[in-house]
Amino acid sequence: MVDEKLLYNTKSVCPICLKPIAAARVSRGKEIFLKKTCSDHGTFETIIWRGHYDINKWINIDEPELPEGLQCPTGCGLCADHLNSTCCVVLNITDRCNLDCNFCFADPENGANDPSFDEIKKSLYNLVSKGKSLVQLSGGEPTVRKDLVEIVRTAKQAGAKYVQLNTNGVLLGEDKKLVKDLAEAGLSFVFLQFDGTEDAIYEKLRNKPLLSVKQKAIENCAEFNIGVTLVATLVRDVNVSNIGQIINYALERIPHVRGVHFQPVSFFGRIPRMPSNNDRITIDELIYEIESQSKNIIKAENLLPSSCYHPLCSFHGDFVIHNGSVVPLQNFHKLEKEPNPTVNPADRNREFIGRRWERPASIKTDAFKPIVLKSASPQNTPKPCCGNIHDMDYFLKIAKSQSFTITSMLFQDAGNIDFSRLRKCSLHVYDNEKFIPFCSYYLSGWEQ
Amino acid sequence: MADTEKLICSKCNKELELKRTNFSYLGHSFFTDLPKCPQCGMVYLSEEFVKGRMSEVEMQLEDK
Repeated sequence: MVDEKLLYNTKSVCPICLKPIAAARVSRGKEIFLKKTCSDHGTFETIIWRGHYDINKWINIDEPELPEGLQCPTGCGLCADHLNSTCCVVLNITDRCNLDCNFCFADPENGANDPSFDEIKKSLYNLVSKGKSLVQLSGGEPTVRKDLVEIVRTAKQAGAKYVQLNTNGVLLGEDKKLVKDLAEAGLSFVFLQFDGTEDAIYEKLRNKPLLSVKQKAIENCAEFNIGVTLVATLVRDVNVSNIGQIINYALERIPHVRGVHFQPVSFFGRIPRMPSNNDRITIDELIYEIESQSKNIIKAENLLPSSCYHPLCSFHGDFVIHNGSVVPLQNFHKLEKEPNPTVNPADRNREFIGRRWERPASIKTDAFKPIVLKSASPQNTPKPCCGNIHDMDYFLKIAKSQSFTITSMLFQDAGNIDFSRLRKCSLHVYDNEKFIPFCSYYLSGWEQ
Repeated sequence: MADTEKLICSKCNKELELKRTNFSYLGHSFFTDLPKCPQCGMVYLSEEFVKGRMSEVEMQLEDK
């Protein structure tokens, strides 16, 4: 019997009735669990760390006791106890979708009433901070709206600095004119659902083969200079073993593809069944898999927790491609000890995203030229084809045109929601004139 | 500063010459040509350079 050790007292909800209850992060050996007991529905334990790395080094933030009277999650709408401002705003513009997936956080009801264009316009003008906001148009599947181009144009007119489209990419692959019109309307980048490099993965998760249409969507976006980030929902026994291939697929398509964003599956919205701990892919497991499956091209030490989220919610890695190598720009062990206190973490994060995911206008839209990759080594002797990465001018050129990001977001569900994490959320859904943390907005109970 | 303008080292009274200058920031090292005194080695950093390329490099390297 392994001893259980209390690490942190927090709060969560009962996954059945969603009542707020006390919870604790506890360790047993290397593994860490969120443990909680509902007086009506019993005790629940959700694994949050498998022990590949030291969680104390990873979290490494001052995590105070939760204040009395915390109103999470029902009182969400950014209260005085919330710790971060808005980095990115999600605006749902439809409940309709052209796919029928086994997993869907939104669980849209096809045929439900969409908001009118005027309602969306009003929301955009209310939510946007001029010259600053990053608006994510989401759904449902936002491309099913016939007025999507006009919505993108309106978001820019309202003053959004970046407009992101969260999409399955089916219509972007099928309709090149739509992509052209979106680019002209000012779309900044596409967050493309991309679960793997094999059709069998899409057949399991999305109920149809989709690889060729995803490929076409990437090509169409490349032609009109819209940056694409591949977004993989990771599900145990479906595509966790495909992580390395997804990274390679993206690297071969730089600069058209700007990065990969991994989302270990969360159990809210439409899910096949109540999850077991084996179904969970923890943040340290994901980092371990990225390093081992990429054959050390992406190293764990170059993936860092994000400052505008809780470290258990998100991480990122920032790289440039030089002379066939993936060169990391940051190292976990060489982090700035004291980030600039005058810069708001949400503002800083937003600019990072914008800088990396948007394609500079100067990039030529050449056909794909796969690059042959090798392990990262900034000390490589430059070949005649390339500049010297230590040359300031050359570095600035490739940092803009040849950048690549690995990012991840681990959404919380009724099993693992932790109010200490929720308080630091800076991804907010705008609804009914409120900014609501993503994971409290989509929180849904399970059937026992 | 106009390209044709001469810069004189106030200490050595020598004209600065464009020389390779090394920088390091957050574990990365870079070089670029900057005006440098051939005698004492003092480097002149113009406001344009500091607010421009140097600031851009810092921004690219800083964590989000």
